[in-house]
Amino acid sequence: MTSQRSRAISQSKWFLPTFSGVLGVAVLVAGLIGGQPVVGVAGLVVMAAFGLFVLLAGSRSETVRGLRGDGRDERFAMIDLRATAIAGLTIIFVLIVSWLVAIARGQSGSPYDWLCAIGGFTYLVALVLLRWRG
Amino acid sequence: MRNKVRGLRTARNLAQGQLADAMGVSRQTINSIENERYIPSLPLALALARYFGTTVEEMFDDQSA
Repeated sequence: MTSQRSRAISQSKWFLPTFSGVLGVAVLVAGLIGGQPVVGVAGLVVMAAFGLFVLLAGSRSETVRGLRGDGRDERFAMIDLRATAIAGLTIIFVLIVSWLVAIARGQSGSPYDWLCAIGGFTYLVALVLLRWRG
Repeated sequence: MRNKVRGLRTARNLAQGQLADAMGVSRQTINSIENERYIPSLPLALALARYFGTTVEEMFDDQSA
């Protein structure tokens, strides 16, 4: 799949609603396999409702269109990048705190240690590759 | 960074949405540029300058930032 085609798919107004629906079905299947049908159904309902909201509210809101992908120009791409960075930093902060708390409680620190390591390693690889690409 | 986008646009009786369509960006992006809340990329700045028949230096003033 070319990058142009993948960009066209991710910038379709159907991408995020479809992704939400697929994720909802995945949660349902996981819930059924794990013997928690209520959790699975709840997950499907929440994801389907979110997908429907994104699909219907896009005509009224630039933010929703940007979130959906079809209203994403260079300014919104920058906003998306910053929002992703904030979300990533928040996750990293929570993981590090959770890891320290787990160690302080005498636990192994797993899986926070692995998640922190994956995050740090991914950051370093991305930094090197992006710098290499210029 | 100060710019003359609003003045050039209104001089041509263009709505923000029309300029946005011509530039391939959202109306809100044109609004943000005009209100100096967003500095456009070099390709968009060049496209705006070409559209209005001027230069980037004429349209954007980095001395008054």
